[in-house]
Amino acid sequence: MGRHYLKAAILWILLTAIGEFLALRIPLFPTAAAEEARIIDSSFILLMILGIPVFTFVLAVLIYTLSTFRSREEAPEDGPPVHGRPAVALLWITITAGLAIYVIFNPGLKGLAELRANQRADLVVRVEGSRWFWKVTYPEYGITAREIVLPVHRRVRFEVTSVDVVHSFWVPAFRVKIDAVPGIVTRVFVTPTQTGTFQEDYHFRLQCAELCGLGHSMMTAPVTVLEQGEFDAWVGKAKP
Amino acid sequence: MAFAPILRGLVWGALGFLLGGGGAVLVRLLLGLPAFQPEPLITIGYFPGLLGWLLGVGAWDVWAREWFGLPVRREAVYDWRRYFRFTTDHKVIGVQYLVTFVVLFLLAGFFAMLMRIELMAPGPTIMSAGLYNHIMSMHGIIMIAVAVAAIIGGLGNFAVPLLIGAEDMAFPRINALSYWLIPPVAVLLVSTFFAGGFDSGWTAYPPLSEVNAPGQVLFNLAVITFGFSSILGALNFLATILRLRAPGMTWRRLPIFVWSIFAASFISLTATQFLAAGLLMILLDREAGMTFFNAARGGAPLLYQHIFWFYSHPAVYIMILPAFGLALEILPHFSRKPLYAYPWLVAGFFGIVFLSFIVWAHHLFTSGMPDYLHGPFMATTELISIPTGLVFLSALGTIWMGRLRLKTPMLFALGFLFNFLIGGVTGIFNADVPTDLHLQDTYFVVGHFHFTIMGGMIFALFAGIYYWFPKITGRMYNETLGKLHFWWMFLTFNTTFIPMFWLGLFGMNRRIFDYPPALGSVNRFISISAFLLGSSFVVFVSNMVLSWARGPQAAANPWQARTLEWQVPSPPPVHNFPAPPQVVGHPYDYGFTNSVHALVGVSGGSGEQGVDTDG
Ligand SMILES: [Cu+2]
Ligand SMILES: [Cu+2]
Repeated sequence: MGRHYLKAAILWILLTAIGEFLALRIPLFPTAAAEEARIIDSSFILLMILGIPVFTFVLAVLIYTLSTFRSREEAPEDGPPVHGRPAVALLWITITAGLAIYVIFNPGLKGLAELRANQRADLVVRVEGSRWFWKVTYPEYGITAREIVLPVHRRVRFEVTSVDVVHSFWVPAFRVKIDAVPGIVTRVFVTPTQTGTFQEDYHFRLQCAELCGLGHSMMTAPVTVLEQGEFDAWVGKAKP
Repeated sequence: MAFAPILRGLVWGALGFLLGGGGAVLVRLLLGLPAFQPEPLITIGYFPGLLGWLLGVGAWDVWAREWFGLPVRREAVYDWRRYFRFTTDHKVIGVQYLVTFVVLFLLAGFFAMLMRIELMAPGPTIMSAGLYNHIMSMHGIIMIAVAVAAIIGGLGNFAVPLLIGAEDMAFPRINALSYWLIPPVAVLLVSTFFAGGFDSGWTAYPPLSEVNAPGQVLFNLAVITFGFSSILGALNFLATILRLRAPGMTWRRLPIFVWSIFAASFISLTATQFLAAGLLMILLDREAGMTFFNAARGGAPLLYQHIFWFYSHPAVYIMILPAFGLALEILPHFSRKPLYAYPWLVAGFFGIVFLSFIVWAHHLFTSGMPDYLHGPFMATTELISIPTGLVFLSALGTIWMGRLRLKTPMLFALGFLFNFLIGGVTGIFNADVPTDLHLQDTYFVVGHFHFTIMGGMIFALFAGIYYWFPKITGRMYNETLGKLHFWWMFLTFNTTFIPMFWLGLFGMNRRIFDYPPALGSVNRFISISAFLLGSSFVVFVSNMVLSWARGPQAAANPWQARTLEWQVPSPPPVHNFPAPPQVVGHPYDYGFTNSVHALVGVSGGSGEQGVDTDG
């Protein structure tokens, strides 16, 4: 009896080790080009690290049970008459509750606090969705464009809205997403940490992520992150 | 003639539609409005049309004649023709539901195949973006309907009265009414192909759903009707389980599948109205110029999303609770062990019911809802993993040290456990706000909910279909084909949906007709895998059809199971039990010497059960 528990536990530890090793070795994310992407990716990794032992626990019990407790008879004898002791259920509830509450705080609330810690912006960019294109304006410079161009290491506040149906502002390289809702202005902060262009990396794109009809999948705009000097040059050229 | 009731329903339905639509035209003419506005005409014609259909198909004969004191005509039909009638036998209605929803499942699966052909390669492949959006929306809503009604309406109707030792459901005629509300739903959805389609998905977010083709109106009417059917069904199950349990069937002896239907029905009864209200508001915006969701005229598009998810998140548990119940019903019989931690599990079900009502806004983390709401909704959502964890405790505790017989139903129940585990663990990533900011509306979410609904609910449905096939049909399915179906479906399901998690992380959003070329090879792999998954149902359908037609005669209790339905012949006689069974013990007490669940065929009940509920 105790032998079964021991063997299943060894299997669990083994599977967990393999799982954690793979999770930390396999590239899980595309280019992370913003401070926000770093926070979100590390939240993801933490959830992976915590989720794998849960997954492998069930897997280990399944594998061990299926390989050990099989019966090939049409009408087998009955198994042990066990209803389960309340102590086991209480222990199980304590562990699952502990895990659930832990992930609410970390990475949940902790990640949110980090993402929202800084409400100050160096640059404001207005983004307006309409079927099926994005209009980007830079109120400071009086620029209107069909693309997003940003200076690296400057905190940007995007002010997002829509003129028709609900769209969603999503730049995979930045990891952040916010809906463009008619009638209200939604906000999201991004601090690019890496230069890049859509031509080199398709994750540098503004993609509509909320179903908006016929042209939904094609509702994209290129995103470019430049060094400050290059950005100033772009502003000079784009200014009306 | 076999199809006479259906034909009469169609004729009366058409008359009702013309009457309602004609009345609408007349009123508009009198008011000096343009007479032929298709959308209000369809909407106003639909409700008398629906009434005409229901009366014609059987409500008039079975119900109204008696009420109005007219001579009642009742012919007993016991052959295959009863499946095409307004029949009140819960076993017939169960089969009606089951076959209807398996057919709808295959239809929606066919739409999924079309989508995967389109997504084989970047750029247009076989259809236009508009048609893709329509097909995708159809796939979504039909699968949602299957997930809501296939287990509850099909297996619930068939098995619940048997499991609790009752003669029928509490309200057999309302039961028939719930079923006969379904054909109009299917007809409306299919008719969208002739009304310009609808491209707003199954979620129908305004303003998109207020500016698209008239097909949207048909969608809204279909879903409102479907909701009405679920509410009536839920009411019936609650009444049945509360009032018709056999003598001795105490709450602690109730089979777990019955508990799960009870819990799910509670949600159906109390939450479905919200969805209907939201869809009705869209209709009023479209047709009566009201402005619930029109921002330019003072409305709030976000309001709809709250109303919608206030139903549609609990609805996830309408789909999955019966799946939990079904898998956990099967595990003890095929492990020959008692259901582990039964009272804790039941408490877990009700923990889920309660929490399911206070998590809805986790669908709105990126919607522009105020930031301070993110924390509370993240917290309630994560807490659901505690009662859900009890399902795993119970399942693992039951199979551990058991005497496992890996028959097809058992394989599907174990497959459910594995798939739902992946669905559950990936759900944490969607519930935690920081990660959801990236994952929301991507293929990661598509992967997640297919693991819970298809990997979970559909696998449990198949477990239940194989488990009760001998009881329903009186014949045995082919075990080799059953196992082939399981392994084929299980492997290709996983190879189809696991890569979607990767796609979501790497920038593929959902509901798209086209995607960045760099994602082409993974999409091709998924498509090929999806075609193999689709083909596994050929094995299923041929097994079902051939076995039903000429499978070997099934014994009364081929699984040597303890619960009540196996103590009567296969298929069960019309009134189920010769006399109300006397329940004397737990349903899953394998391994206890001299333990019995119920005495069947011995007269012992109070006679209360003998009241003819059929009339
Ligand atoms: Cu859009
Ligand atoms: Cu939800």
